This record gives sequence, structure tokens and C-alpha cells, in this order.
Amino acid sequence: MRIWTRPPWPFRLLVHVVVYATALTMVIPLAWMISTSLKTDQQAISTDITFLPDGGPAAWQWLNYAEAWRQAGLGKFYINSLIVATVVMLLSVLHNALAGFAFAKLRFAGRRLTFTLTIATMLLPMQVYFIFAYVICGWLGYVDSLQALIVPFLAGAFGIFYMRQSIAGVPDSLLDAGRIDGFSDFELFTDVILPSIRPALGALAIFTFMASWNNFFWPLIVIDSERHVTLPLAVARLSAGYYVSSWPVQMAAATIITVPTILVFLAFQRNFVRGLALTGGKG
Amino acid sequence: MTARSNVNGWAFVAFPLAVIGVFTALPTAAGIILSFFEWDGGAHGRFIGLENYHALLCDDPQFLYALRNTIIFALATVPATTVLAFLLAVALHAQWFVGRTMLRTVFFLPAVISIVAVGFIWRWMLDPQAGLLNAGLRACHADELLGADTPLWLGDTPWALGAIIFVQVWRNLGFCMVLYLAALTQVPRSFYEAASVDGAGSWRAMLHITWPSVRPMTAFLLITGTIWALQVFDLVWVVTGGAEQRYTDVLNAHLYREFAANRLGYSAAVGVFVLVLSAGVTAAQFLWFRTTEGARA
Repeated sequence: MRIWTRPPWPFRLLVHVVVYATALTMVIPLAWMISTSLKTDQQAISTDITFLPDGGPAAWQWLNYAEAWRQAGLGKFYINSLIVATVVMLLSVLHNALAGFAFAKLRFAGRRLTFTLTIATMLLPMQVYFIFAYVICGWLGYVDSLQALIVPFLAGAFGIFYMRQSIAGVPDSLLDAGRIDGFSDFELFTDVILPSIRPALGALAIFTFMASWNNFFWPLIVIDSERHVTLPLAVARLSAGYYVSSWPVQMAAATIITVPTILVFLAFQRNFVRGLALTGGKG
Repeated sequence: MTARSNVNGWAFVAFPLAVIGVFTALPTAAGIILSFFEWDGGAHGRFIGLENYHALLCDDPQFLYALRNTIIFALATVPATTVLAFLLAVALHAQWFVGRTMLRTVFFLPAVISIVAVGFIWRWMLDPQAGLLNAGLRACHADELLGADTPLWLGDTPWALGAIIFVQVWRNLGFCMVLYLAALTQVPRSFYEAASVDGAGSWRAMLHITWPSVRPMTAFLLITGTIWALQVFDLVWVVTGGAEQRYTDVLNAHLYREFAANRLGYSAAVGVFVLVLSAGVTAAQFLWFRTTEGARA
């Protein structure tokens, strides 16, 4: 059954053209990044626009990747970034969903006020609090360790707000049915809420992983020793200070740092699109 | 409600709120106090009252440039991103759109990329000599329209602010679109069935059913988007290399430079300024959404 009457074909065609043109704008810079990463320095700065570098895959400059990897010493930093982003993603989605559930569906004294205050912390710019967040991490013994990159991110106002908005859309009748069946609040959370908000959970997991993986400012402040450097810091050095390198090598580094987030995105995205399709079908 | 759910509610929020309290709320309070001090990170600070704020507003032209640029940045990026994201989401939600699953992925890709990579990519795209943009303009002779020389996109001209605004929309569009898509799946199908019985076309259905139905998400995106736009730092830092320019400096970049120069109290005062600005704008938006919500009911 059609949801509503299809618009006439000229309109549909126009929509396709506009949307695909916009999509091209999204992709071209990324295609250009990969393209440049496989060129020689001379090919890169040549004024002819070639998306496929000359000479077929055998002649492409794959060594740019080895060079980027070596110059920035990426091997050891990859694992730091992976550990931090994975732990933060798993735990913070859980914590935020728990809090979002309580704020959306449970009644307790001070709920409205606490929720408003929590949301209000989203206003606080990192730049106002990082100095003393650093001091507190020092007291806790976290400075210059991976804990400093994990513990402060185990819950966040954005995630709580987003979870609360998503869970608010779950019909109360579902919860009441569960309560009649004798579910505890925690069982309601795991058996009723979590399955109903799968798309939102997938989205939040992706956002959280990315935010952690890509975090730049805080590691810059809190990590001193070479051992705990994360990937963005290592890559950023390629364009400043010690190692000034060529455009192709920089683009190779940019590609290397981008791959894991794209993989995580694609992995969760399937789940997320399927989730969308399911809810759409039942609606 | 029963006493049981009363206790559970707090049990569910206790740990998340503790994390936010210890690493965000407390340090903010300390940061606000710091803004009334002169402190270089040494053993002792000196209380100077409002002097930091006075200096910001009266003796620091670079601060005023940063303030202006930040406001323009927020006003340009947030509404544009939100409206475009909504339209895209509606198009990619429609059953008749060919390739909608693939395009959802494509639009989200820029949001996935590390900010460091975004900086590399756009500095390269906008490079005045070999950058793809200028090469493309030259190839179709559009550079002549822009005068004798193609602009130094990231130089100290209004172009640079425009470039940063563009990159921000490029980066955030997919993120907002995905949130709208999730919201669209929750619009009950019966709403549209009722509309089609009433003979409403798809355009009117979008304006009168879809748009009001995703209102909570619009409110969410406008509010969080404005907050983040006013706090922009990484993007500007990596795209411009952190240069102190009239047209690309933003409040948090100014703050970071003051911090790096060990003027911690002064830097905290800039932070408080950002905070007050975002709080004011958000309160206004919140009230506006509340009152129109009431009018609708």
C-alpha cells in the first residue's frame, strides 16, 4: 500500500536530480582525497584534473601509505584510539539509554529539575571546564593515561537528551502491558525499550564512536607522553612542525585515519537501516 | 506512582549524572570563578574582579572580530543545515526514491571523517594553486567571473568565513539527516492515510503533517546545533591552521591562544562569554518552542 499519493513524475525527477547533485558534493572531496593519496607529488600539483592517476593500479603510489604510516608512527597509536573509542561507545550508550529511560518513563522526585540541569550542561563549552577537568583528572591519577580519555566520556548530556527524546516516542501502553506481566523497571528497559529504539541506539553508537575516535582537543591537553597519543594527534603532526610532508602523503594519512570510522559506520548502519525498515513496516 | 519506581529512577540516573557532575559541572563552576582572577598557572592567582571582561570588550579588537565571526557562523550554518537535512530526509524516506539506502550512507560519510582529515582534505581542495576547486573553476573558465585572480579561499578575506561555513554544512548535513530519518519512522502511518483521504497532495502532507510531526527533533537539532556552532573550534583550527585572522577567528580559537599564552584567567573570561551567549540563545529558542507548542495544542 502506498503511504500517500506519489507526486507527479517531473517532480520526482527534479528531486532525484537535486539530491544526487548534492550527494556528489559530499563524495567528491573524499574521492579526491583517495585519488591524491595515490599520486606522485608532481601529479598531485599538476593542473590537469585526473581522478584516476595515470598508469593503472600497478603504477599508483601505494608507498605513500607506508610513508604516512612511518612518518606519523601510526601503528602504536591505532590501538590506543581503538581501545578508547570502543569502550566509550559500549558503556556510554548503555548509561545514556538508562538515564534517558528514567527521564522519559519513570517518575521520581526531582525528575524535571534534574533533566533540565543535565541538558543545561550541554551548553557548557569544553573551553570553560577543561582546565579544572584536567586538575580533577590529576587528583584521580588519570593524567596521561587512557582512563583520562575514557572515564569523563562514560555518559553525556547529548546522549541522554537524544535517548530521552527517542524513548519518549515509545507508547506507554507497551510499558503498561509489561508492568501488568510483572516486569521490573530494569526488565522493561531491556525487553521493551531497547528493542523498540534500535535505530536510535545504532545512531547513538555511531555518533559516540566517532566523537571519541575523532576527539582532538582533550587528548591534546591531557596526554603528555608519546605512549598514549591517539591517532588524530599523531596525524595532525604531519602538517605542522616536525614533519612537513607532501600532499599525497597527507591524503594517505587522512585516508588511513578515516577507514575505521567508516567501517564502524557501515557495520552499524546495516542494522540501523533494517531497524528503520522494520519500524516503518509496523507503523 | 509507586515508591519502587521512585527509587529506581534515581538508580538509573545516578552514575551518568555523577560523571557529568565531576567532569563537567564542577570544573565549569571553577572555571567561572577563575575568570575573575589573573592567573598564569603558577602557585598564586590574583583576584581582579571584572577586569578581564572589561579588557575583552574595550581593549581587544581581535575578540570583537571573533565574536562577529562566531555569530555569523552560527546564523548561517544552523538553519541551513536543519532545513536541508529535513528536505533530504523526506526525499530519502519516500518509497519512490531510487537508491535511497545508498544515498543515506553517502550523505553521512563526511560526518564520519576525523576532523583532522577534514582539515587536510579542505586545505587541499581549496589550495590556491593546485586545489581542485580552482582547477575546476579554471577548467570551465568560471575563474574569470571572479576577477583577475581566483580568491585565496582560506586567506584573510570574507571568502574564508564562507569556506568554513560551507565545510561545516558539508560535514553536519548527514548527521542531522540521519536523526530526521529516525524521527520520520515514528510518524504514525495513519496520519498520512487520513491526509490522503482528505485529498492532500504530497507537498501539503509534508508541510502540514511531516514537519509538525518531527518538531521535537527540529527543536533538538536547532538547540544543539546552535550550542555547537557557538563553541566551534576544531573545524576552524584545522582548516585555517589556527592563524589569527580577522575573518576566520572564532571565540574558542581566541580563547585557546590566550590559554596557550598562559593567560588563564583571561582565557576563562572568553569561555564564560561563550557560555553566556549560548545560554541566552538556547533559553530564547526553548521558550519559543514551548510557547508555539502551547499554541498548537
